[in-house]
Amino acid sequence: MSRTPVGRTKAAAAVAVAAALVTACGGGGGGAGDDKVKLSIGVFSDFGFTNLIKEYQAAHPNVEVEQRTVKMEQHHTQLATQLAGGRGAADIVAIEEGNIAQFRQSKDKFVNLADHGAKELESRWAPWKWNQGTTDDGNFVLGLGTDMGSLALCYRRDLFQAAGLPTERDEVGKLWPTWADYLKVADTFTAATPGVKFVDTAQNVYKAILDQTEEGYFAKADDSFIAGTNEKVADAFELAASLGEKKQTSALTPFSQDWNVALKQASFATTTCPAWALALIKAGAGDEAAGKWDVAAAPGGGGNWGGSFLAVPKQGKHPEEAYELAKWLTAPEQQKRIFKETGNLPSEPAAYKDPEVTATKNEYFNSAPVGEIFGNSAENLKPTYRGTKDAKVTPVFNNALSRVETGKQGTAESFAQAVQEAGDAVK
Amino acid sequence: MTVAPERARAGRGVDPVPPARRPPWRDRLDRWDTRYTPYLVVAPFFVVFGVFGLYPLLYTAWVSLHDWQLVDGAERFVGLANYAELLSDENFWNALVNTISLFLLSTVPQLLAALGLAALLDRGLRGRSFWRAGVLLPNVISVAAVALVFAQLFGRDFGVVNSLLGLVGIDPVDWRAETWASHLAISSMVVWRWTGYNALIYLAAMQSVPKDTYESAMLDGASRWRVFWSITVPSIRPTILFTVVVSTIGGMQLFVEPQLFDPGGTATGTGGNDRQFQTLVMYLYEKGFRLFDAGYSSAIAWMLFLLVLVVALVNFALTRRIASKG
Repeated sequence: MSRTPVGRTKAAAAVAVAAALVTACGGGGGGAGDDKVKLSIGVFSDFGFTNLIKEYQAAHPNVEVEQRTVKMEQHHTQLATQLAGGRGAADIVAIEEGNIAQFRQSKDKFVNLADHGAKELESRWAPWKWNQGTTDDGNFVLGLGTDMGSLALCYRRDLFQAAGLPTERDEVGKLWPTWADYLKVADTFTAATPGVKFVDTAQNVYKAILDQTEEGYFAKADDSFIAGTNEKVADAFELAASLGEKKQTSALTPFSQDWNVALKQASFATTTCPAWALALIKAGAGDEAAGKWDVAAAPGGGGNWGGSFLAVPKQGKHPEEAYELAKWLTAPEQQKRIFKETGNLPSEPAAYKDPEVTATKNEYFNSAPVGEIFGNSAENLKPTYRGTKDAKVTPVFNNALSRVETGKQGTAESFAQAVQEAGDAVK
Repeated sequence: MTVAPERARAGRGVDPVPPARRPPWRDRLDRWDTRYTPYLVVAPFFVVFGVFGLYPLLYTAWVSLHDWQLVDGAERFVGLANYAELLSDENFWNALVNTISLFLLSTVPQLLAALGLAALLDRGLRGRSFWRAGVLLPNVISVAAVALVFAQLFGRDFGVVNSLLGLVGIDPVDWRAETWASHLAISSMVVWRWTGYNALIYLAAMQSVPKDTYESAMLDGASRWRVFWSITVPSIRPTILFTVVVSTIGGMQLFVEPQLFDPGGTATGTGGNDRQFQTLVMYLYEKGFRLFDAGYSSAIAWMLFLLVLVVALVNFALTRRIASKG
């Protein structure tokens, strides 16, 4: 063997496809003798399922549920190799909104939940959310929606005050009805406090703007690649990049280790925050920043960012039981409780319009009425069409923005390179 | 030849039985034993190698001849098209150049430092075993932990290295955006991890160099420096070549350090926002596991395999020539 663990990784990469197939016929053994139904559920970050699973097991003594959590990027890669190999995937798997289109292509590896009666549940979800989880004109139900990521903008009250800007969330929201206004606020802020960056990263601003348009990199009609011709993409890129060119961003990779450190050091004043991001900001900024962060309405109205689905891979042994559990976990009553526990916004109107949810305040964020803010944002939400190859293209444009932020390239040059690279990636 | 052990065995008995009275099938069994048992004993390695080494290698070759989507499998047979595309792929050449650059930047200083370290450890130090075990310590620590720590050290805004540079008036370096800076940072990780390991190998070789050679050189008035370069280094030449070969193979497959140094991690896998430090294995990973293009990814794997093979053969030839001189 090679002396380095690197060798192992390389070998794993090179042979994963093969090795998985070698063992594919082996079968999983299976726990004979025990007549309990063993289910596993594969998630990333915090879905808020832990307590619910305990409750479900108590109500169903014949079911045993194991939760497996890995990091988001690994989760989807791992799922792909498990599907390819024909074994190893959990009985229920979470799939993120940005990745679901990619897995829709491989729908024959998943159970059609419509066969188990999922179609009757359709009215539970916001129509766009339901449609994202289905294919074949709604006849194939791939996944049941969990949360969604309606958009807001988080800001540091103390830094806004130091820059002479208003600090109350209603007034802050009024500062930026559009993204162009947001840029103006950035200029005002930078002029007053040049030592602090206005926003963490151009990438998130770009994604937020793009998520407010109907089409992004791919055409809704035929899934063709249109990033080079869609003016919305170029406009969003230019707008976000201009923050980078003026050095008003911290040029961070979103949610990276450096991003956490910068949060702790209070080195930027605003960040785009979908509902699920509140937990990340709180974790990164720590207790000493309690009450300093606040939540305001996002420029340009609502947009969707993130949110997941629960799907059932075909290789599982208990599709019926898996479906029952997924159905229960995504039901409005359970989703409501998850919101109160983790802040993940439900995608069912019955849940996000529930008075209990709309009355929820987040103490850490200066007691912001998050239920109301995100619920309202969800109402106006028009989701962007995600192409089948969206997940391949997104990093290319993020890299391009990062090149502008770090001063390696100008906006136009970087964008041209990104369109070229993205075109190659979807060939 | 085969009779000797039988006699020894028979000799252990209280009253020796004449060999002629043994049944002939026992003789045959003994012959088989001596002839075939060694094969049986080494077989497990080859069986394991066949299953986990050779089979995947051949299977990867098969995959590389197809348009192969990771999840859905083969779409169509394309022959050598993946390889043809690879040879005109800028990103592939970029990854190759990065790999070679990282390899040189990490292996050369690493082996030189190891040589020096070994020479120091070879002298009569107090607490010898403590120092000798100590140099191996970096190698024992998980590479993921090492990469995390180094990523922090080389942070742009709040990194230790930049603040130290600031003390001597050097502007902060964006370690992940500049090609040379990123290569230096990653190489420092590799050097830190492997120097001690190689030093111990050199030390073992140095201890077998006859001490009287040193003594006579000293008597002739040679300096320590001269003795080191004229006696120590030539005496352990085969060992040096061994470490060069092993480091080369390791260097060509560099993956974890640069991958974890990339703030985008496996989510992008491009090794910086303009592929500044993407190595071949990172490119393989990006194509296969992020873009799900298993066919192309397998082609990269095979190119890498062939490259390592060529480098290993060159090394082997050099080893034979230089070692026989010694």
